[in-house]
Formats: sequence, C-alpha cells, structure tokens
Amino acid sequence: MTVAVQCEGVAKTFGASVEAVSPIDLHLVAGQTTALVGPSGCGKSTLLRMIAGLEVPSAGTVLIGGAPPSQTLRDADLAVAFQDPSLLPWRSVRRNIELALDLARRPKRAEEIEQLIRLVGLEGFADARPAELSGGMRQRAAIARALSTQPALLLLDEPFGAVDELTRQQLAQDLPALWEARGTTTLLVTHSVSEAVMLSDRVIVLSPRPARIVADVTIDLPRPRRPEMARDPDFGQFTEHVFAALSKGVADTLPKAAQ
Amino acid sequence: MTRYALGPIAALVLWELIARGLAGSFVLAPPSAIAVYLVENFGLIARALGVTLGNAAAGFVIGNCAAIALAACAIVWPRSDAAIRGAALLVFCLPLVATGPILRVVFGPGPWPQIVLAALAVYYTTLIPLLVGLRAVPSDWLDLLRSYGRGRFSALLHVRAMAALPYLVAGLQIAAPAAFLGAMVGEFTGAERGMGVLTIRAMRGMNVEMTWTLAAVATAVAMLGYWGIGAIAARMLQEDPPVILAAPAALKGGGLGTAAMVAFLVVLVWDVGLRLLDLNTFFAKGPLDVFDALALAPDARDTWSILLRALGETAVFLVPGYFAGLVLGALIAMLIVLVPSVAGTAMPIAIALRSVPIITTAPLVVLLMGRGAAGTMVLVAIMVFFPTLIACLHGLRQAPSRVMDVMNSYAAGPLQQLMRVRIPAMLPAFFAAARMNVPASVLAVTVVEWLATGNGIGSTMALSASVSDYDLLWSAVVIVSLLCVVGYGVVGLVERRVLRVYAPEQLA
Amino acid sequence: MTQVSKLTRRSVLATGAAALGATTLGQPAWAQAKANLQLSWLHSTQFAGSYIALKRGYYEGLEVALQQGGPNAPVEPPVVSGTALIGISAADYTAAAVQEGAPFKILGVAMQNNPFAIASLAGNPVNEPADLVGKRIGMALTNTPVLQALCTLNGVDINAIEIVPTQYSPQPLVAGDVDCLLCWATDLPVAMTIQGVDNVTMLMADYGYAVHSQTYIATEDSLTNRRADILALMAGEVKGWGDYRADTDAATQLTLDMFPDAGLDADTQRLQAARQVPLMFSELTDANGFGWWTDDTVAANIETLGLLGRTVTADLWDRSILEEIHGA
Repeated sequence: MTVAVQCEGVAKTFGASVEAVSPIDLHLVAGQTTALVGPSGCGKSTLLRMIAGLEVPSAGTVLIGGAPPSQTLRDADLAVAFQDPSLLPWRSVRRNIELALDLARRPKRAEEIEQLIRLVGLEGFADARPAELSGGMRQRAAIARALSTQPALLLLDEPFGAVDELTRQQLAQDLPALWEARGTTTLLVTHSVSEAVMLSDRVIVLSPRPARIVADVTIDLPRPRRPEMARDPDFGQFTEHVFAALSKGVADTLPKAAQ
Repeated sequence: MTRYALGPIAALVLWELIARGLAGSFVLAPPSAIAVYLVENFGLIARALGVTLGNAAAGFVIGNCAAIALAACAIVWPRSDAAIRGAALLVFCLPLVATGPILRVVFGPGPWPQIVLAALAVYYTTLIPLLVGLRAVPSDWLDLLRSYGRGRFSALLHVRAMAALPYLVAGLQIAAPAAFLGAMVGEFTGAERGMGVLTIRAMRGMNVEMTWTLAAVATAVAMLGYWGIGAIAARMLQEDPPVILAAPAALKGGGLGTAAMVAFLVVLVWDVGLRLLDLNTFFAKGPLDVFDALALAPDARDTWSILLRALGETAVFLVPGYFAGLVLGALIAMLIVLVPSVAGTAMPIAIALRSVPIITTAPLVVLLMGRGAAGTMVLVAIMVFFPTLIACLHGLRQAPSRVMDVMNSYAAGPLQQLMRVRIPAMLPAFFAAARMNVPASVLAVTVVEWLATGNGIGSTMALSASVSDYDLLWSAVVIVSLLCVVGYGVVGLVERRVLRVYAPEQLA
Repeated sequence: MTQVSKLTRRSVLATGAAALGATTLGQPAWAQAKANLQLSWLHSTQFAGSYIALKRGYYEGLEVALQQGGPNAPVEPPVVSGTALIGISAADYTAAAVQEGAPFKILGVAMQNNPFAIASLAGNPVNEPADLVGKRIGMALTNTPVLQALCTLNGVDINAIEIVPTQYSPQPLVAGDVDCLLCWATDLPVAMTIQGVDNVTMLMADYGYAVHSQTYIATEDSLTNRRADILALMAGEVKGWGDYRADTDAATQLTLDMFPDAGLDADTQRLQAARQVPLMFSELTDANGFGWWTDDTVAANIETLGLLGRTVTADLWDRSILEEIHGA
C-alpha cells in the first residue's frame, strides 16, 4: 500500500512569537523518497513531527492518504526513526524491535527480524542491550525497528548522524532498496546534502527558521545508487544545485534577521 | 569485605565498653547481654518477630500496591496528580497517636490496625519517588509510542513502568524499616502479641536487656529488608537505584486553587468517611466539630492556648533536630566523597541508625542523653540524617563528568571540586530530602514526646485521648497535619529559589 | 467431654459452653451471646481474675473475649461505640469521659484503693506526705493535679516539692536524679524490687487520695438493653476475682500459661499479683462482696475528683448489677 502526504499551509508557532515553520505547502508523492534539507534549527524536525502527528500544526492541515495523521497513527501505519535512537535500555535489540511490532499490533516473525538486523549490519548483536552498542549501532537498531512494522509512511529524522562513513554508504545502498520494493513513502530529514541526493527522488530545501521551501529539486539519478556514484558528474550537479539553494536561503534570510 | 566489617565491629566494641561503663544505671545493655538474652528467650522473641513481621509484610505489600495504583492513576489521568499528592501528604502527616485507636475501633481485635498502620507508614515514601520515576522518561520514548498510535496506558505499561523501577526500589528500601515500625506502633493499640507488645512490657519492667534485644532484632530485620530489596534490585536492574529528585510542583496561578480543591476533598472524605463508618461522635470528631472547637466554642481560646504552648515546646526540639540532621547528612556525604574509605564505617552505621525502630529506643535514648532537649533532638536528627545522607551522596556523585574533566585539567584539588562543582550538583537532591523529611521529623518528635519526654504536642495528643478530650485531639491532629503541609511547602519555596540559580533544569 | 489440651481461648470457651449446655438443655454453643471486655492495659496478673473466670467458665451463658489494652488503646471509644460491652477504667478517666458526653456508669470497683503511690529508695524514704517537703519528685507533668490533690488533702505546700518531669520509668530514681517517683504501687516498685533495688512505697490511698481504680464501666444503653449479658459478665468477674484472692500464685501461673507470648516475667507477676490484693479487697468487700462501694466511699471519691478538677455526682455509680449478684 502506498500513501501520499499533503501538507496545506502547515505552520507552527511555539509560544506567542517563536515561528518555527512558516505556512508550507508540501506534497509527498506516494512511494517516493523525499529529503528535507535545511540548516540546523530551521524547523525540519518540527515539520516531520507535524506529519507524524506528534505535533499539532498551529495552522493548516496534514493529510496522509487523505486522512488526518491521527488516523494513520491509529492504524500504526507510519514509523519514525528519531534523531535519538530512543531504544529502551532494558530491552535487547531484538526485543526493542519486537516492542514496535507489539505496539503496531503486527505479528512477530523471527526470521524477518533476523533479516532486518542483518540488513542494518547488527548481526550477532541481536541480544545486546543498547548500552553495549556504539552510537551508530544504536541508530541502526532504531532504523531496523522503524522498518520492522512495514509502515506505509516512513519518517527518518537524521537517522545516520552517528553512523560512520563506511556503514552509512552501505546503508544508503541497502535501505532504499527495501522501502522502494514495499512502495513505502519515505521522508528523510537531514542536513547532509550528499546524503539527501544519494537517497532520495526529490530534495526539498528549507530556509533558516522560520522554515519555508526555497527549492524543490527532483533527483532523477538511476537506481540502485552505488557509493561510486558520488563521484559522478551528474551527482555533483545535483549536490551543487541543492547547495546553492541552501546558501541562497541562508543569504536571503540573514539580512531580514539582521533588521 | 574487611573494610565493611571494620566499622560495625568497632561500633560493637565501643557499644560493649560504654554499656559496661553504665552498668547499674538501667539504660544501655551491652551486645554480650543481648546475645545471652536472645539465646535464653529465643522462642519468645521468634514468635513475636513472626507475628510482627507478618503484619509488617502485609502492610508493606498493601501500602506499596496502593502507592503504585495511586501513581499509575496520577500518570494516566494527570489532572488527578495534584489531588493525589496533596491528599497523600496530608494522610501521611496524620499522627499515629490519633489514628491508632480509631483503627482499632473500626477493625476490632485482630491484626488489621497493625497492618493498616504499616501500610500508612510506607505508601508515601514509595509514591513520591515513583511519581518522579514514572515521569523521568525521555520524551522521545513517549513519541515512539505515540508514533505507533498508542496512548498513555501503553506508555505506562511499556515505558514508564520499567523506567520507574529503580525509583520504586529506592522507595521500597525506605519502606522496609518503616513498615516494621508501623506494625510495632500498631500493636500499641491493644494487639495480642508481637514485638511492639514486648517492647511496652520491657520498658515498664525496667528490663534493659529485653528492650535492647528487641531493638537489636528489629533493627537487624529492618536492615535485612533494606539490603535484601537492594540486592534483588541489583540483580534485576543495571543501574543503581536513584534517589528522589523531584522539584516541588510549580506554584502557578492554579496553586491556590488546587490547594483549596485538595482541602475541600479531604474535608469531604473525612466527613463522609466518619458517617459511612458510623463511628460514635464521642471520639470520632468531624470537620465541623473541629471548626467548632477551634473557632466557635466558648473554650476555643483555651484550646488554642494549649495547642500553641504544646507546639512551642515541640518546635524547640523539632527545628534544631531537623536542621542538625540535614547538616550532618550533607556533611558526612561530603566527607565520604572527599575520603571514600569513610563509607565503609559510616554507611552500615547510618543504615542501622535508620532501621532502629524509634519506639523501642526513644525512651532509652532520652534517658541516655539526659532529660534536657538533647535526647529528643538527637532522635529527630537521626530520622532526618539518613535520607539526607543517601540523597546528598547521590547528588554529589551526580556532578557532570565533563565539568569534572575541566576541573581536573586545571588541576583543581578535591576541595575546590567539591565547592565549585559537586555541592551545586548536590543541591536538588539535598532539597528533595529536606522536603521529604518534614513529615518524617514530625513523626519522630511526636512519637518521642508521646513515649518518652511527656511534653509538647505529641504528649498533648496522647493525654487528650486518655482523658477523652477528643475535640482537643482532633484539633491537634488537624493543626499538626496542616503545619506539616505548610513546612513542606516552605521548604519547597526555598528549594525553588535556590534551584533557579543552581539547577534550573530541575524546574523545567 | 471436651479435651483441654491447650489453654486457648476457644477450647476454654468450648468447655464453658459444654458445661452450660448441661443446664440449658442442649442449647448449641454458637447461640451464646458474645461480649468483649476491654482491658485497660496489656495482659498481666493485673487482670488475672478475668482469666480465671474465662478459664473456669464463670461467665455463664456468655462468650467473653478479653481485649488487651495498650499505650495507644484508650478504653472509652470501644465501650462508647459498643465494640466492648464493659471496659476497665478508673473513676478519674470515667469522670473526664462523662464530662465530654459519654453516657457511662460505674458498675463495679475492682481496686478499692487507688494504686497511685510515692516510691522512694530505702536509704532516703518517703513514708508519709510530710516527707515530701524539700524532695525532688519525678513524674509526668500531667500528673501535677494528682500531687496537688495529695498535698491539699494532707496540708503540704506543693511549692516545697521540686517536680522533675520524667518519663514513666524507675531509672531516674535509681540514677539519683530524683528522690522519689509518682507511680503505681504495682509496677515500678515491683520492677525495682525484682531488680534488687531496695525501695519504699507510700500508697496515696492511705492518705486520703480516694479515686476508685480498675472500675467496670458500661454505657447506660447497654445497662438497659444488654442487662442479662452485663450480669453474666460481672458475675463471672466476681467469682473469678474470688478465686484469685484465694491463691494469687495459681492465678499468676494461669496468666503465664495463657499468655506465653506476652513476655511476662514470672517473679514480677507473682509479686504484682500479691501486692494487688490489699488494693482490691478490704473490710468493705469482705462484708459486701467484690467490687462493692458505699455512699461514703463515693462521697470521698467525689471530693478527690473535685480536687482533680472533675465535677461528678453520685449517680455516676450504679450499684444495681452488684446488688443483684451479691444479693442473690
């Protein structure tokens, strides 16, 4: 099953005056991977949290497959990999994944869980507690957990922040294959331009806070994308394009902020 | 191992020597005499211990289950939180002297008054850390559950319950000696047998060996409970039980409104409760009776003057004892951090002091320290000292390691580190202990006055019951409970002021 | 019949019930009325007459349970609320409760003479009230009215006595902090004697302090509506205490056997049981029976209670139950 996400005039203001997200119209195409790129603190995570139904927008509406996020939440049809891995420290990697399946009321199939754990490169660590893992390994476990429920909508908030470069390349190659095969609509929040280009079908560039869309770049690079692709001139063009948009967004915002 | 044995052995030897020095004065029995008494009267003590332990265990289970249920209710239904906290504090502040006889009339003969008093003695010290623990959950974990469409109940079940376990253990550890003390005091209401009954007998019969044997056995059992729970927890949990670190609830605009609601609720439950239990108004006074006695009755002025004089007498012991306990607890915690080897001696003694059932030793300590204020103050200080020590130790070790690294890189000495980093890091724990100790110190002072010194509000309550002046008794109960709550609130206010400077994150 | 292998209350009651069954022609034991007697303190020979009554089935037709008292177990609430049919109190406490509105009557007086005494060491004795002058007395401050009453009755200036507030313990006297103690003749002096401390007691009752002690109290309501049960209970008491007087050592032994978990010391209990006899029995009771009083003793009580700040009238005492028992 694939779902499209429609954000119409979605905005978020914290307290009386802190505007985190200006009214934004954003449409995520069903089955596509979309990356949200922007400078630190620009409100990308807030936007993701509003789509996930964890934050109520101050204005505008979010519809997932035509229904409000609360419905998607109720059906446990989305999954979030948070910036912080948020693994429960008293449960092993396997049992953390099982918890997600329990919460989402999905059957627990041992071999599927094993396969996921292998996919994120945690083979042999299924029974390890989070405290015994490195920061990167914990993030990978969290990604495996998010994938385990086979959600229609997958929201990844800086999922590779602590993952080392080599593993990140490996994951960038393996993970999209998995969610593309399932037709999962994926939203990736990141501040790494190359990661955004490498993983997604489309990159949305946000300005500094309050976030607004400054560019919407379609990445029509062939799949599967191999790590070597990063040296490809086409790849370079895309990253440059995104980078320029990012810089322009910052430059346009700064004088305003200075006033 | 030898490090831990050294302190207790030294203490035992010192005790033996002092007791022998005081021989003939009928106040202190040496450990050797206790051993002899225990061997000669093993059956008697064992049977009494069995009875009291059974009641204490039942009260422990009931009280802690009630605490868990109340905490769960406060989490799943956050609106009830303020009411639950307020009412729980108020009930915990009720003086034992007053509740005992009522429970006996309500439950009749049998173990229930003892069990209920044991339960009342433990539920609060479990509830408060538990409420903290249930909230001490990273918000990401809760978001995770919400992202799977699950609500508060799932959060309680899957995340909060486990996250709160270390806090629960901290509460249960304190509860073990408290339950035993509660069961013993319960026996003062006319129980057939048990350690409390033997204690009364030993005190009246000038049987010093028996008194100290009872105190020693009760202390040993309470310490075993404390350590046993700690050991079970250590096997189950990866981390040490934390210490209660809750800042007091913010006094926002709704603070007074909440207080008024809690007060109304308590008065309502009090009034309706008495009617439902169909208790005779001769001894079961309702809110209106107390209002009448304190405001309208022709002798209201006399009642106030009796109460104020008694409270004045009590304050003289209570306030210095309370502060002495706090200061001593904090100082010894600092000493342990500066000179870690002190812990081997100090900790077992501290735990033992805390575990001694105050009712067995209060009269003897008062005799030992002379009839001046010293004895009462010492007992209050002992009650306050231990929780403060534990909390402060935890707080001192809480100092952020990165800041300590910075200090080390400037080659700052241990004293510098203590003054500049550790003490500020300790403050939240210190104040949490200071707050929790308000009801505990009032309990201590009233029990000592009742059983030993015969002055102050504790004695006034006991005396008013014996001459059937139940208007005065209930008025005293109301005033003491209110003062407890006010004291708790005042400490909370000071705490917020200090923490705003040193630990603003606690107030978030 | 019933085997009394162990002296538990159940088996004792069963025996009594079976004995009763013979007279009331097969009335089943469970049909017996039940009543609680609320004692004023822990089980000890202080109440041994009641234990005898219980054990020997003297409470005819009534299943009696003896409720122990304690430091936090006032007698009045269970009696007022009907949990206990009869309570063991004392005239001063009863007077206070009546002033607070409790509808109590005194039905019988177990201790004709009040047990309050001045205890001192043999080397520095207080033999009569005049000896108190210039002495330090250890007592609870709340008992000041008691000392005041004694002084008034004997023309001693209370200001000439130094009152030292102490807890209820012989220790301050033994340690020399005080010269004498205000206490019961039957507890602290007994404890000192057993511990080998040579002491002297001056019974205050011998010097005009007339306050009936260990009195049987019941509510007016019970007296009207449960009269038969009260009669049965009091008749049992009279018989039990009669046996007690005849052999206090046997009564002590029974107490020790019935309450092996009470931590009672045999020697202390034996001495206490013996010392109690002159407080409980007098020419008055010899002539009229256990628990008796006369208008004269009531008048003396009213006077002493007045000195203690308690105003009562003679109708606090109701002798009708005793008259029925002793008259029969």
